[in-house]
Amino acid sequence: MSSYDYIKELLIEKHDVSPDVIKPEAKLTDLGLDSLSIAELMFDVADKYGIDIPDERANFTTLGEGAALVDELIQAKGA
Amino acid sequence: MFDRLYAGESVIRKVRSGTAEFGSDILLAPSEFDSSAIVAKTQLLLMDRVAQMGVVAAYRALSGANLLVDDRGPASAGIYMGCGLGGSSSIQDAYRLYFQRQTRKVKPSAVPLIMANAPASHISMRYGVLGPSFTYSIACSSSAVAIGEAFHAIRDGYLDCAIAGGAESMVNDGTIAAWEALTVLAKEHPDGPAASSRPFAKDRSGFVLGEGSAVLVLEAADVARARGAQPIAEVVGFGAASDGHNLTQPAVGGQVRAMRAALADAGLAPEAIGYVNAHATATPAGDKIEIDALKEAFGAHARRLAVSGTKSMHGHLVGAAGALEFAITLMALKKQRIPPTANLTMLDPECDLDCVPCKGREASDLEYAVSNSFAFGGSNAVLIARRG
Repeated sequence: MSSYDYIKELLIEKHDVSPDVIKPEAKLTDLGLDSLSIAELMFDVADKYGIDIPDERANFTTLGEGAALVDELIQAKGA
Repeated sequence: MFDRLYAGESVIRKVRSGTAEFGSDILLAPSEFDSSAIVAKTQLLLMDRVAQMGVVAAYRALSGANLLVDDRGPASAGIYMGCGLGGSSSIQDAYRLYFQRQTRKVKPSAVPLIMANAPASHISMRYGVLGPSFTYSIACSSSAVAIGEAFHAIRDGYLDCAIAGGAESMVNDGTIAAWEALTVLAKEHPDGPAASSRPFAKDRSGFVLGEGSAVLVLEAADVARARGAQPIAEVVGFGAASDGHNLTQPAVGGQVRAMRAALADAGLAPEAIGYVNAHATATPAGDKIEIDALKEAFGAHARRLAVSGTKSMHGHLVGAAGALEFAITLMALKKQRIPPTANLTMLDPECDLDCVPCKGREASDLEYAVSNSFAFGGSNAVLIARRG
């Protein structure tokens, strides 16, 4: 499963976001998540892939950007 | 629930805590609990099991009192909750991650999940209850004190209404290991797990942990009457006192003073009381001390009291124990029926009061009843209620 798909699954299952508003261009804040929920989401993603999301990189805006960041960190870890 | 208690039903069973390789078979009074009808999925992220239980119990109390309008409760009510350990399972999860994974990145929501005031806060948020919110952590007497303080606040004119009770859910492996180490937990009785919590019995061996939440709505009598409410019973007295003795061993003196303080608070003579729901954890030392304290506080009248230890059936809910047992006491007054001490097939001769062995009893003249909660650390709390 790609990181985008995993993030999508978390949003639907844990954060009760409707599947049809989840798109790469969607912003997390527009999906109804507050700062604690966003932090929880990031924690779950980092936990799943065994990566560390540095605070200074965690200010992406859209889902697509977030998934790209996660993919980059997964690659870097594997390298 | 009261009918099942009256019939002497024990919910205590044996469960596995931990894993097959590393864990323990323990006796437990588990809660069959499903919060999904009340708690939205998104809220689960921020709610330890204990907070979920508190919200569900508050929902039942508010709807039973006809105080929910469009899912909102009384905005000016106070919230008084007892909770011994807070989000115990969340504490365990956070530490496990920290130590096993050697990571400092634990769940961001760990703090709000763990904090002991979370049940009260979630009740406030969920039902729009905006009065003062207090959480009492006093081990086994947490929620008795919470109810007592709420009662005083209403009687003293600070509030018209309070949501008062307790919640506790600490049945996770690490916490259970800690309780086991204290050697206060019951051993399994030859008659099986359900028979293992044996207050006042000659072969009692300690208590069985439970989990759950009990919440009451307290309301000023004139306010309740004006809106046509049907109260279950009336709270008339609350007393508290400290043993100043020992962290785990109770003492007669502090218990006597708490009972006398409650009677004085209610303006009652000991002879007015018909039923005592005892603290009665079924520890070898504790039950005898409570019986001695009852004899001292009630004098000759102690022999005419019915005294039952309902932890024999529902286990010890620690932070929620006081509230659950007071609720049982209120129901006994309402139904004019006294629940038994289950498993009392052989009374300890040193506990020689009427401990209502095995079978519940009709009590058509029961007017006042007492509920005792005597906590570790010697923090004693006693509530008194009158038939409504």
